[in-house]
Amino acid sequence: MDKPMVRIGHLSSWYGRGRDRRQVLRDVSLTLAPGEALGIVGESGSGKSTLAKCVLGMVADVSGTLEVGDPRPQMVFQDPYGSLNPAKTVGWILEEPLRAAGVRDRAERRRRVREFLPLVGLEEGHLARKPAQLSGGQRQRVAIAAALIQGSRLIVLDEPVSALDVTLQAQILQLLADLKEELGLSYLFISHDLAVVYQLCGRVAVMTGGEIVEEGDVDQIYDHPRHPYTKKLLAASLALD
Amino acid sequence: MRQKNWYLTIGVILTVCMLSFIAVGFFWTPFEPSAMDGGARNAAPSAAHPFGCDAYGRDILSRTLEGAGSTLAIALAVLAVGAVCGLAVGALCGYYGGPADALIMRLCDAVAAFPSVLLALVVLAVTGPGKYNVIGALGVLFIPSFARLVRGEFLKYRERDFVKSARLMGVHSLRIMFVHILPNTWPTLLSGLTIGFNNAVLAEASMSYLGIGVRPTEPSLGYMLKDAQGVLFTLPWCTVFPGLVAILLILGVGLVGEGLRERMGAAA
Repeated sequence: MDKPMVRIGHLSSWYGRGRDRRQVLRDVSLTLAPGEALGIVGESGSGKSTLAKCVLGMVADVSGTLEVGDPRPQMVFQDPYGSLNPAKTVGWILEEPLRAAGVRDRAERRRRVREFLPLVGLEEGHLARKPAQLSGGQRQRVAIAAALIQGSRLIVLDEPVSALDVTLQAQILQLLADLKEELGLSYLFISHDLAVVYQLCGRVAVMTGGEIVEEGDVDQIYDHPRHPYTKKLLAASLALD
Repeated sequence: MRQKNWYLTIGVILTVCMLSFIAVGFFWTPFEPSAMDGGARNAAPSAAHPFGCDAYGRDILSRTLEGAGSTLAIALAVLAVGAVCGLAVGALCGYYGGPADALIMRLCDAVAAFPSVLLALVVLAVTGPGKYNVIGALGVLFIPSFARLVRGEFLKYRERDFVKSARLMGVHSLRIMFVHILPNTWPTLLSGLTIGFNNAVLAEASMSYLGIGVRPTEPSLGYMLKDAQGVLFTLPWCTVFPGLVAILLILGVGLVGEGLRERMGAAA
């Protein structure tokens, strides 16, 4: 078996300081294999976003062990209106990760950006546009391309489709699934929506109150949920469908 | 639907007119500004002297041209000092926050609590009058207002996802501040700059009027007003024309600022 992409052992995390210090993660353990997509499901405040931030190295107050197999994991944010710099063109936004990675040659950067466009379903005509001139789906494609272009293999997806309407959701989920196969990516997929997780992930962990209460294959969790919280989540998601 | 932005249109036209007027003064004036013509003393506006002459027979149009140029130069220099330093301070405070930010902002509050002209008076009482002392004193006193404006903008943007995303990609903090965030703050900064420019023109004029601004050998609009206040009713053209130029310049730039703000509001 390969070395896991993420191995988290007995991870706890706190926000705040002194008397306001509040525990947001309690003894969380999980592993993510290379090429795997793991869904983290829970309502807001369950600690799922904090878990993602820990993996990205954005949380300081933690205890436990955390091994991440990618030196620079990236994140795709929920709101494609906020995750792209409104003052810049798509071309600039896609070149910037390469600039940060030390690719000095402009022609080389442009070549790599142009090579990447078809992978995410964008065209060269989009490069000169600003984010405000793109649709929500196109923006999320740009955000995905920006996250991948440095060559990161571990991607945290923070509710990447919940700001999109249903047909676009399906398109973006398909794109994410294709990219995973083509580039051998590992996903940590944060969502409150079990139905969306079911489409993309093989395994799912259910979180509430900062703990993982249930973990397993999506089919098993869907068909035979054991924890009452999972049953509640499932019922809510089915009621919506 | 897009409404015509009259503030911006009129402001730009007015500003361009005033700037062209002042630009002419840099290269050409009808008479030597300080040359006294004994035969033209107290002359009312005429074809030869469109703005009239003062009690020494100096051509008011020439002096207004030169004075406006010097006022403009001082205002721009003050603005440059205040805006550049304010930008640096505000960006660092807003982006990093923390105790240093709190301390610097209280300091800015303390400076901003006094009218800037009053503080500049104190500084100039120590350093003596002169163009560069005025620029230095006013420039430093203009820092707090810019710093606060910039800080507010950076505070707003540092939590945006595109900034977080840049951090994850390993972009250097200074680059995030000045390449990623700064371009988004231009509309706000620009309207802040127009207000700052007007304040600088007014502050320079007030200080020269009080006699502690520029030296008599380097007249500005404020100095001309002070110089002519004794003959306000007998030779009104000595004050009306320099005053009018100052007012139109401020009005033009002010309208541009207002128009920019309006356009931002429409875009948001």
